[in-house]
Amino acid sequence: MNVTLAVKQYISKMIENSGPGMKVLLMDKETTSIVSVVYTQSEILQKEVYLFERIDSQSRDNMKHLKAICFLRPTKENVENLIQELRRPKYSVYFIYFSNVISKSEIKALAEADEQEVVAEVQEFYGDFIAVNPHLFSLNLSGVARGRSWEPTLLPRTTQGLTSVLLALKKCPMIRYQLSSDMAKRLGESVKQIITKEYELFDFRKTEVPPLLLIMDRSDDAITPLLNQWTYQAMVHELLGLNNNRIDLSRVPGISKELKEVVLSAENDEFYANNLYLNFGEIGTNIKNLMEDFQKKKPKEQQKLESISDMKAFVDNYPQFKKMSGTVSKHVTVVGELSRLVSERHLMEVSEVEQELACQNDHSSASQNVRRLLQNPRVSELDAVRLVMLYALRYERHSSSILPSLMEELNRKGVSERHRRMVTSMVEYGGKRVRGSDLINPQDAVAITKQFFKGLKGVENVYTQHAPLLQETLDQLIKGRLKDSQFPYLGPSSLRDRPQDIIVFVIGGATYEEALAVYNLNRTMPGVRIVLGGTTIHNTKSFLEEVTLTAGAGQAERVQRAGGHPNRR
Amino acid sequence: NASLDREVKEGFLCPLCLKDLQSFYQLQEHYEEEHSGDDRHVRGQLKSLVQKAKKAKDKLLKRDGEDKPETGSYESFYYGGVDPYMWEPQELGATRNHMDFFKKHRAARIDHYVIEVNKLIIRLEKLTSFDRMNIDAGKIRAIEKSVVAWVSDTDVPFCPDCGNKFNLRNRRHHCRLCGSIMCRKCMEFVPLPLAYKLTSGTREARSVTGSQSQSPPTGGGGNVSGMGSRRGSISSLSSVTSMLEEKDDERIRCCLHCMDTLMKRQQKLEEKDHVPDIVKLYERLRLCMDKVDERAPEYIRMAESLNAGETTYNLDTAGGLRMEVQKYYELIDALSKKILTLGMKEEPQPHQKTLQLQRMVRYTATLFVQEKLLGLMSLPTKDKYEDLKEKRKQEQEKRLTQERLVSRLRQDSEKNRPAASTNGEAPQAPRAPRMTKAGGWLPSSDTLHTCGELEDPLLQQIDNIQSFLRQAKAAQRHDEVAMLEENLRQLQDEYDQQQTSLAIALSQRLAQEESLQQDELQRLEDRERGEREHRAQSQAPGSQATYTWQGSLNLTDTGSLHGEEEGEEEVTPKAESSPLSMRAFPALTDQDEESPPRLRRLGGDVTPPGGEGQNSSSLNPFEEEDSTPVEDPSNPFFEEIQKEHKEVANGKKEYNPFEQEEGGEEEQGQAEGATGNPFEVKEENNEGNPFKEASGCTPPGASTNPFEGEDEEAMPDVDVIEEDLLLQQIDNIRAYIFDAKLNGRLDEVELLSENLRELQRTLQEQKSKTH
Repeated sequence: MNVTLAVKQYISKMIENSGPGMKVLLMDKETTSIVSVVYTQSEILQKEVYLFERIDSQSRDNMKHLKAICFLRPTKENVENLIQELRRPKYSVYFIYFSNVISKSEIKALAEADEQEVVAEVQEFYGDFIAVNPHLFSLNLSGVARGRSWEPTLLPRTTQGLTSVLLALKKCPMIRYQLSSDMAKRLGESVKQIITKEYELFDFRKTEVPPLLLIMDRSDDAITPLLNQWTYQAMVHELLGLNNNRIDLSRVPGISKELKEVVLSAENDEFYANNLYLNFGEIGTNIKNLMEDFQKKKPKEQQKLESISDMKAFVDNYPQFKKMSGTVSKHVTVVGELSRLVSERHLMEVSEVEQELACQNDHSSASQNVRRLLQNPRVSELDAVRLVMLYALRYERHSSSILPSLMEELNRKGVSERHRRMVTSMVEYGGKRVRGSDLINPQDAVAITKQFFKGLKGVENVYTQHAPLLQETLDQLIKGRLKDSQFPYLGPSSLRDRPQDIIVFVIGGATYEEALAVYNLNRTMPGVRIVLGGTTIHNTKSFLEEVTLTAGAGQAERVQRAGGHPNRR
Repeated sequence: NASLDREVKEGFLCPLCLKDLQSFYQLQEHYEEEHSGDDRHVRGQLKSLVQKAKKAKDKLLKRDGEDKPETGSYESFYYGGVDPYMWEPQELGATRNHMDFFKKHRAARIDHYVIEVNKLIIRLEKLTSFDRMNIDAGKIRAIEKSVVAWVSDTDVPFCPDCGNKFNLRNRRHHCRLCGSIMCRKCMEFVPLPLAYKLTSGTREARSVTGSQSQSPPTGGGGNVSGMGSRRGSISSLSSVTSMLEEKDDERIRCCLHCMDTLMKRQQKLEEKDHVPDIVKLYERLRLCMDKVDERAPEYIRMAESLNAGETTYNLDTAGGLRMEVQKYYELIDALSKKILTLGMKEEPQPHQKTLQLQRMVRYTATLFVQEKLLGLMSLPTKDKYEDLKEKRKQEQEKRLTQERLVSRLRQDSEKNRPAASTNGEAPQAPRAPRMTKAGGWLPSSDTLHTCGELEDPLLQQIDNIQSFLRQAKAAQRHDEVAMLEENLRQLQDEYDQQQTSLAIALSQRLAQEESLQQDELQRLEDRERGEREHRAQSQAPGSQATYTWQGSLNLTDTGSLHGEEEGEEEVTPKAESSPLSMRAFPALTDQDEESPPRLRRLGGDVTPPGGEGQNSSSLNPFEEEDSTPVEDPSNPFFEEIQKEHKEVANGKKEYNPFEQEEGGEEEQGQAEGATGNPFEVKEENNEGNPFKEASGCTPPGASTNPFEGEDEEAMPDVDVIEEDLLLQQIDNIRAYIFDAKLNGRLDEVELLSENLRELQRTLQEQKSKTH
C-alpha cells in the first residue's frame, strides 16, 4: 500500500532491466515529476543513469554509447515523438515503458518505426501518479470541475491516474462514492469500466476482505483548504508552496544561491521525516536542538586541534558534520522564513479566528473578530478574503449574517474585485446547497457534543482544533458505520466486514491537513491501511484558483487551458 | 469526528440535561428526541453548560480514573496501527509486456527495410563498378538506365517532393538508385568515395562468392533501353543539354529518400566498430568501483575484527587491503577526472549534452568515493592492536573462568554432599571435588588451569577464594562463608591498592614523555620554519615543472601506464634485493588480482635506510625519466632534485612530499574551479602516490617488511606505530580536502590544510626523534 515504494520499485526495475552501462532516462513533463518526487538525483546516478532528457527536447545529441530508458505517459504526442526518435535513433538501445495502458495500434506504429531494431523492451509500468508520501498521492491536475461536472479532458486523465494507483498497489477494489457529487459517481463508473475492460490486468490474488476505493468531492468540505496550517509539511505548503516536494525560496529576502530551491523529502532527510507532522512550536525546539548539535560538531576556526586524538575525533566526525550542515542550513532557512511570514502577516491572530469560525458556534464573537481583523492593516489580502469566505460558509444561512458588511469592509480594505468575487464563488462551490454531509450544522447533535467536549478538554492548542471532515468519514467507514445513503456502493455487492485496505480519492484536491489525519488513522487503527489521493494537493491559494476555475468566473481561463492541452488523454 | 467518539465514551452525557447515556448512538437518539424543540442556536445555553460539564468531568475522572487515561487524545486509546513509513514491503506493481506484439510487427517491417537497403546498395555498386571518368556521358547514362528502370517523364508532371511543376526551366531528374523523378532542388548526390565505402562490404563478399552478378541483368537492360529511347525522342534537345551540363563524374545523383537510407546505413557502419573513449574509460571506472564494492566490505570486516582485538585476521593483511582499496579510490578519481575533461581541448567543443554526461559521471564517482572512502574505518596501530588483543584475551579468560565456576557449581550441587572444612589452599588441589572419608567436602580450585593465564598472584588468590566461597555457600557452611568473605575483602583491597599505585606510576611516566615531546616539537617547528623559507624559493618553478611533465603524459591515452612501466624498469635493478618493489607505482591499469595487496605496500617500504642519496631518487619517477640525477638546469625537475638532495644532505631521512603537493594542489584547485584542470589528476595520481608510499617508509632498525612484522613485536617501537596512525590520518584529511575543494568550500579547505600541515609536522618530528 506504499505508493512511494510502488513507483520506486517500478523505476528501479526499469533500470535493472536495461543492464550495465551508461544510461539516459527519457521522460515527458509529467513523468519527470513522477520520477523526481521519489528519487533524488544522486540516488538515481548510482544506478548509472547519468542524463535526464525530455522526449520533446530538441537539443539532444547523438550518443550511441548510451542506453535509453523511456518512461512516458501514453499520450499521442509522446507516441509521435517516440516514432520520430526511433526513425533516427540517438541512442543505442531503447527500453520503453508507458505509465499506463497503451493501444495496440500505437504499438504497431512504433514497431513499424523501429527499422533499426533499437527497441529492446516495450512494457506498461503503472506509475502514473505523483507519490508524495507513502500514504499520499496526487495527480497534479487543477481545475477539474466545470460547474458541477467534469472538465471533459480531465475525467479520462483522472481515471488513468487512479487506475494506475490501483494497478501499482495491485488492488482491485469495491467502489463507494459520495452520493451528493455527480463527479464522484462519474469517476467511480469510469474506474469500474476500466477494471472491467482490463480484467486481465486486475486479476490479483484475492484477499479475505476486498480493498475499498472511496471517492469524495472537495466541495463537501471547502473549509479545510481555507485554514492556515501549523504542522510542518502543511505549513510549508500553505505559506511557501510545496511542488513535487520542492519549495521555491527564491523570493525569500537575501537567500543564498544553493537554497533558492530546496527539496523536502522524507525519504532522504531525517530531520524532515521526524518533523513532518509536528507543529510549529515543536519544530522550533527541534531546530534549536539540531543547531546546538551542529555547533558541537562544527570545527571551530580558532579551535586548535592540539593532540592527535583531537584530530582523530575531528576526522571521525567530519562526514557526519558535512551531511548535517546541508540539512541544518536548509531547515533553518525554511523555518526562519515561516516564522517571518507568521509575524509579518499576523498569522497567529488570523488562525485563531479561523479556528473559531471552523470549530465554534458563537456567531457574535466570530463576526466581531472577523471585523476586527479586517480592519487591521497588517492582515494580508489573502487572509482577509479567506476569513470572509470561512464566515460565509459557516454562517451561510444565519439569520443575522453580517456578510454584506464584511464584503463592504473588504472593499474598503482595497481587496481586488477578483478576490471579492471569489467569496461568492466559494459559497457556490462549497455552500450548504451542494454539501452532502453535515460539515457545519448548529442543530446537529454531533456538532454540539463535539464542540462541547472540545471545551472540556481545555483545547491544548487553539490553532489545531480543527479536524477535517475526512477524518470523521474515514472513522465511520472503518467502523462500518458510514451510511450507504450518503456513500453508496457502485454495483450490487457491498462489504460485509470492516474494510482493511482503503484508498480515498478526493476530486478537486486533498490537503496536507487531511494527509496528517490519514497518517494518524493509519498509526492508530490496527489492521487498517489507508492511502489518500487527490487530483492535486491544495493550499489556500491553489484552492482559490481551483474554485475560480470551477465557477463561472473561470470560463475564459478554462477555454484557454483546454486549448493548451489538446492532446491530453 | 474520530476523536469525538472516544471523547464521548467518557460518559456519553447529554450536554443539555446531563443524563448519562450508554453509547454514542443512544446519546444522539436521546438528543434528537428530547431536545429537538429547544432553541436552534444553543450557544446561550452552552456557556452555562460548560461550567456544569466541567464539574461532571471531574466527577467522572475521579470515579473511574484508573481505566481512563486523562490525556484524552485518541492515540492513547488505540495501539497497533502502523506508520505508513513502516508498512511491510510489497511486490512490484502490475506490469504488462508488449514486446512480443511489437516484435511481430517489427519483423515484417524490418524484412522490407533490409530488402530495400540491400537493393540500393547493390545498385550503387553497379553504378560505381565502371570507370566513370573515362566513359562518355551517353554511355554512362545507358549503364545507369540499365541498373534501374527510370520512371517515365510523362507520368510525373510535378515534383513529388516539393510539388513544383516541371517545365523547360524546371526540368526532371532521375534518381539513379530508384529511378524516380524529382526536381533539381530536391536532388541529392552521392559522392563516389561514400559510394565506395558503402559498397565495400558487398564487394568483398561478392569477390569471395564469385562475381557472377556483377554483369548487369540483360533482360532488364533491354527493357530499360527501350524506355530510354522513347524518352529521348520526346525531348532529345533537353536531354542533350542536360548531358552536357551535368556529366556526373564523381557523384551519383539520387533522390532524398534514397540518400536518407544510404546515410543511415553509413552511420550504422561507422558506429559498428567505433568505441568512443568515454566508454573505454567508463568501463575501467566501473571495474574499479566493482572492485571496491567487493573489497571494501572485506576490509571493513577485517578492521572491525582487528579493532575488537580478535586474532582472526592479520593486521598487515588488513593494512595491505586498505592500501589496495585506497588505490582503487585514487584510480576512480583519476579516471573520472579524465572522463570529465574528455574533448575539452578539441575544437569544436563537444556537444553540451556530452559535457553534461561527463560531468555527471564525474559527480557520481565523487559521490561514490565520498560515501565509501569516508566510511573506511582506520586500523588500530600495532601497539594498540597488542593492547586490544591483550584486553580481549583477558575478557575471554574472565568469561572462561566464570563459565567454569558455573559449571563447577552445577556439579557441586548435583553431588550435594556435605564437605569437611579443610582450607583447600593447596595449589595442587584436584580439579574435581573429591569425596573424603569423613564425608566432608573439599573445595577444589582452578589454579592449575588458571595460573598460566592470570599473571597476578593476587588475582589468582581472589579467584580461588571466590570459588571456595561459592562452594561453601552451596554446601551451606555458614561459618566458613563468613571467614572466606572476610578473606576475600582483604585480598581485594590489597589488589585495588596495587592497581592504583601502578596507575599513578604510569601516568607520571606518560607526563614525562609528553613534556619531552613538547620540547622536541618546539625545536622541530623552528627548524621547519627555516626550511619552509628555503623551500618557498623553489616552490613555484617546481609546480610549473610538474605541469609540463603531466602535459606530456596526457598526450598519450595510456600515459599513466607508460609511466608505470618506466618506473618498473628503473626500479627493479636498484632494488634487486627485493623484487617486490616493482609495485611501487600505482598501477593504473592493474587488474591482476593475484598480486597480493601487501606487495604495494612493500614496494613503498623497501627503501633501505642507508643510501639515501641514490635510493630516494629511485623512488621519484621524474628523475628516472632522464635517469641521471645530474643537476642539469634545463631539466624541469632540477628544482625538485636539488631540493631533495639538499634535504638528504641535511641528514634528513625523509622528504615529505605533502608540503609540496599541498601548494601545487591549492593552486590547481583554484584553476579547477574555473576550467577543471585536467592535470590535477596526474598530479595526485602519479606524483602523489609514490611519495606517499615512500613516506610510509619507517626508520632504520625497524625494517618494516610486513612479513617480518610478527617477529618485531619483541622490540616494539612506539614511534613507528605513531607514524602509522599519522599516515592514516593524513590519508583521511587529504580525502576531505579533496572533497571540500570539489564542493567549493574554501574555508574548510584552509582549515583542513592547516590540519594536514600540523599532522605532517608531527610526522617529521616523529621521524627525527627516531633518528
